[in-house]
Amino acid sequence: MLKLAGMTFRNTPSRWGSFAQSLHWLIVALLLLQVTLGLVADDLPLGMQKLAMLARHKSVGITILGLAVIRLAWRWSNPTPPFPDTLKPYERVLGHFTHAALYALLFALPLSGWLMSSARGFPVSWFGFVQLPDLVPKDTGLYEALLQTHHVLAIALGVIALLHVAAAVKHHYILRDDVLRRMLPFTKTR
Amino acid sequence: MTVFASRALRCTVLVTFASAASLAVAAPPTRFVQDAAKSTLAYSFVQAGARNKGTFRKFSTTLELAPDGLAASKLDVAVDMPSLDTGDKERDDTLRGAEMFDVTKFPQARFTSTQIVRTATGYDAVGKLTLHGVARDTHVPFTLRTATEQGKTVSYLTGRTTIRRLDFGVGQGDWKSTEWVGNDVTIDYSVRLAPGS
Repeated sequence: MLKLAGMTFRNTPSRWGSFAQSLHWLIVALLLLQVTLGLVADDLPLGMQKLAMLARHKSVGITILGLAVIRLAWRWSNPTPPFPDTLKPYERVLGHFTHAALYALLFALPLSGWLMSSARGFPVSWFGFVQLPDLVPKDTGLYEALLQTHHVLAIALGVIALLHVAAAVKHHYILRDDVLRRMLPFTKTR
Repeated sequence: MTVFASRALRCTVLVTFASAASLAVAAPPTRFVQDAAKSTLAYSFVQAGARNKGTFRKFSTTLELAPDGLAASKLDVAVDMPSLDTGDKERDDTLRGAEMFDVTKFPQARFTSTQIVRTATGYDAVGKLTLHGVARDTHVPFTLRTATEQGKTVSYLTGRTTIRRLDFGVGQGDWKSTEWVGNDVTIDYSVRLAPGS
């Protein structure tokens, strides 16, 4: 099998393996799709199109939830490339917090969406293949609260993702270290 | 349920019909009417791969057991369409709207049997269902269980049937597509009947 620039399937102490990278970038792509589907659905009048958009949004959300489980399991069973030694203590704390928050949100967002669908009485199906069980009984008040929660969590994910991107850019262009490069395929790490 | 119990139940049901049939040779049919508080008419349909459920809050059922036998007996069900309830106002309003049940134009759905036949598991009321202004031949299979409650004989009529919404023109415009809202609608009924006039 072709090994690109020393890429391995599993993580090494110096870079993310191809599996971890695939999960990372796949989830990035799905999150962008999710935001688009969610915003488009919000703007649509009640009808078939809205129903279709929301059904896709739910299916993609459940996919992300599944990928998040795999990702966390993979992280726990692989070495994690450490932060560079040049980081100040507060930067380490911020880095760990950002990553933990991103993982937490990858679970919290789909779960809050699933919960709100159950509370509203619109069960969730994964692309029409499997119908997921309702997590809570129908409850309008609970639905309203969960809808708010889902929106707040989505905004939080946006903010933290921006912080994450800003840090990656800083590492690459200002600190000129390997932090971004080791998450990119087809790159050499020093 | 054991085979014995199930047989016993069937016998009870048969006896009910038989006694209704033999009691009065020239008498009017025995009428059973629905006890609204203890009756449910529920439906479910697949929406975007998931089964969605609802009920009708208002409907009425009459079962007439004719003295000359099952074939001349009659089941009549009238459903108040605006009373549909899926637990979500937006969905309910959509279902009541012009592209779906159009309840302002067709406020009532009605099933009237032309005959009731015995089946392996119970009975089958064969007749016409008029829904959304369209009449279609429909089967309403059911089982009947009788019980004595507070000295009164009551019957429980329960069963399930499936109809296709597009047969009745339910779903115009975008909703004609069955990609996101399925064609099959399952109807579950559990009706408590008491002798009435």
